[in-house]
Amino acid sequence: MLLTFLSHQWTGFWRSKSKTGTIAAQLIMGFLVLYLIGVAILVGSSMQDLIEYKFPDKDIMIVFNGVILYYYVIEFLIRMQIQELPTLAIVPYLHLNIPKQKLVNFLNITALFSPFNLLPAFIFFPFIIMNINLDYGLFACIMYMLTILSLTVFTNYAALYFKRVSTGNMKIVIVGALALFVIAGLEYFKIFSISSISNIVFHTIAGYPLTGIVFIALAVAMFMVNARYLKNNLYMEELKAGVEKKSSTDYPFLDRFGAAGTLVALEIKLILRNKRPRATVSKGLIFLFYGFLFYKNDVLEKDEFGRILFAALFMTGNMILLYGQFMFGWQGAEFDGLLANKTDIRTFFKAKLLMLTLSATLLTLITSLYGLMSWKLLLVHLSAYLYNTGIAAVIVLYFATRNYKYIDLKKGSNFNWQGVGASSMLMSLPVLLIPYLIYFPVSALSNPYWGLAAIAILGISGLLTRNYWLDTLVSAFNKRKYKIAAGFREQS
Amino acid sequence: MIIEISKLNKTYSGRTVVDIDRLIINAGETVGVIGNNGAGKTTLFRILLDLIRPDGGEILSKGVNVASNDQWKNYTASFLDEGFLIDYLTPEEYFLFMGSLHQMNTVDVIHHLEKYKEFFNGEILDSGKYIRDFSKGNQNKIGIVSALMQNPELLVLDEPFANLDPTTQIRLKSHIKTLKSSQLTTLISSHDLNHVTDVCDRIILFEKGIVIKDLYTNENTLEELEAYFSK
Repeated sequence: MLLTFLSHQWTGFWRSKSKTGTIAAQLIMGFLVLYLIGVAILVGSSMQDLIEYKFPDKDIMIVFNGVILYYYVIEFLIRMQIQELPTLAIVPYLHLNIPKQKLVNFLNITALFSPFNLLPAFIFFPFIIMNINLDYGLFACIMYMLTILSLTVFTNYAALYFKRVSTGNMKIVIVGALALFVIAGLEYFKIFSISSISNIVFHTIAGYPLTGIVFIALAVAMFMVNARYLKNNLYMEELKAGVEKKSSTDYPFLDRFGAAGTLVALEIKLILRNKRPRATVSKGLIFLFYGFLFYKNDVLEKDEFGRILFAALFMTGNMILLYGQFMFGWQGAEFDGLLANKTDIRTFFKAKLLMLTLSATLLTLITSLYGLMSWKLLLVHLSAYLYNTGIAAVIVLYFATRNYKYIDLKKGSNFNWQGVGASSMLMSLPVLLIPYLIYFPVSALSNPYWGLAAIAILGISGLLTRNYWLDTLVSAFNKRKYKIAAGFREQS
Repeated sequence: MIIEISKLNKTYSGRTVVDIDRLIINAGETVGVIGNNGAGKTTLFRILLDLIRPDGGEILSKGVNVASNDQWKNYTASFLDEGFLIDYLTPEEYFLFMGSLHQMNTVDVIHHLEKYKEFFNGEILDSGKYIRDFSKGNQNKIGIVSALMQNPELLVLDEPFANLDPTTQIRLKSHIKTLKSSQLTTLISSHDLNHVTDVCDRIILFEKGIVIKDLYTNENTLEELEAYFSK
């Protein structure tokens, strides 16, 4: 039965409409995993040298033992962020003559297929085999390894369990975040230290290998807790919406933009009320910290704007790139309706441009706080803003007409490649390269400020000729609208 | 004559789904489109609404090809499936949005919705839910009412009776009958022979994209259709 499920998933993967995108995504993920494993092997095999190099005056065993639990705490946090819950896949089987236990087993076993579960072995085993074996004997070595494996299994299921429990339950999320804060604080003020606990724990295992059984028991217990929770909660109602009353809203501010404003209001609701766009947009806000990475005083003093242009472009325009790439995909579910109704396509595009412009304006206003670092940054941001609204938005929308992939708004955005196609990847290339193609020659011929001015002028000319670009977009769209609509109709 | 279909065909991987040499729908007719699954009813509606490009032929609406000009949108209202609803809106927001596309203000929309209080059965308005959280039947009601609200000259409904509870089916039937006028042409597809023969004055029966029967309804129609489908 397990094999049947797996083969269904396998065929589902190969037959999905967005196959090429998914395969590309999987390839990239595959390389990432290979890279991580490579790093893990490297770290694992040179653990002893690394420790000696980094902490020359400390006992190797103390450092090694202290690191282990640290690793798992961090791994747990990362898992909470990116490990996916494989629940949805089983909905079509729930009503069939298949024992619940089998479905639960399927979920639990597929949960083990995660690169996270391989890494600890590569990182810790070489050191354990070489050092523990020599110093404490074979039995201790085996118990060490079993403990590592148990901890891996434990974090695996613990992360899934907390993720399941916390979805739709804000209280747990808040309590969890507070606990994390407190632990981090205690660690920071040296009141309580994970590494010293880790040290004590593994020192004990080295001395009394049988104590490792505790961890094996913990891993089994966590597995059981998770399995029991799954078995008791294997209902579709987990997918149902919250119970709080939804009320109608409107944004009078947008009324002044006429029909386009109405469509923008619609889209704002789309963003606020659906998981994936909401996550995409809120992730964009994280990029606002890019400035702290890129903006260095020596760069600014020497007017080397080329080195910070990327950050400026991305900070003021990340909504255009991240959100704009799926411009129609977001509305894939109601696309037929939008086409069949009395929405003028030109107005539709106008609304899209208006929306992207509003987002860039907002981001530029926020990032103008960087102006406190240097007034020059305001100039960089202004030219980036003009370019983003005048040129980038049009390019992005043009490429969006070549993306026919439906997007499920209910899913999260972490490692979610649904809707990502070659066109959306290609798109960012011209968008981010054009400013450099303008800036470098002009600043080499005159000075960096003229380089910025040239980008700004390009942006302004784009804004002034917007009507022309609107017509181009409309005709590009009309050529492909049947294909886009057909693509969205096949929602997988 | 409001709709004129000529030489229309569409195939999907070698399978013909629409193949109509010539078909004319006159203004004011209420037409029932029937046929088993795969007869091409929905595809025909989608081509009519310019959502699918036909492989050949054309549909003229008021003499203008629907694929070349958007004019038909001014007088056509349609509801084919949930893909026509914007599911993250509340019903009120959705009605207001649809109204705004037809220059109706809030007062107009509310006035219009008053008429459908009974049809909604107290479940739709002021429910505090997004459209995606409604049952299929209630979503259906929202779509149908928003189509009716647009005061169309051409109304296209794909299986409007599906998923509706019996009471609502009966109410919808009688409502469509009261709407009949020389100004409104209605196209309805349905699998329920009783309903279509009751509501429609003309029935077009498709099979694999081809018009098999095209008849004006009389007291024998239902029997005739039942005979056809049971053979």
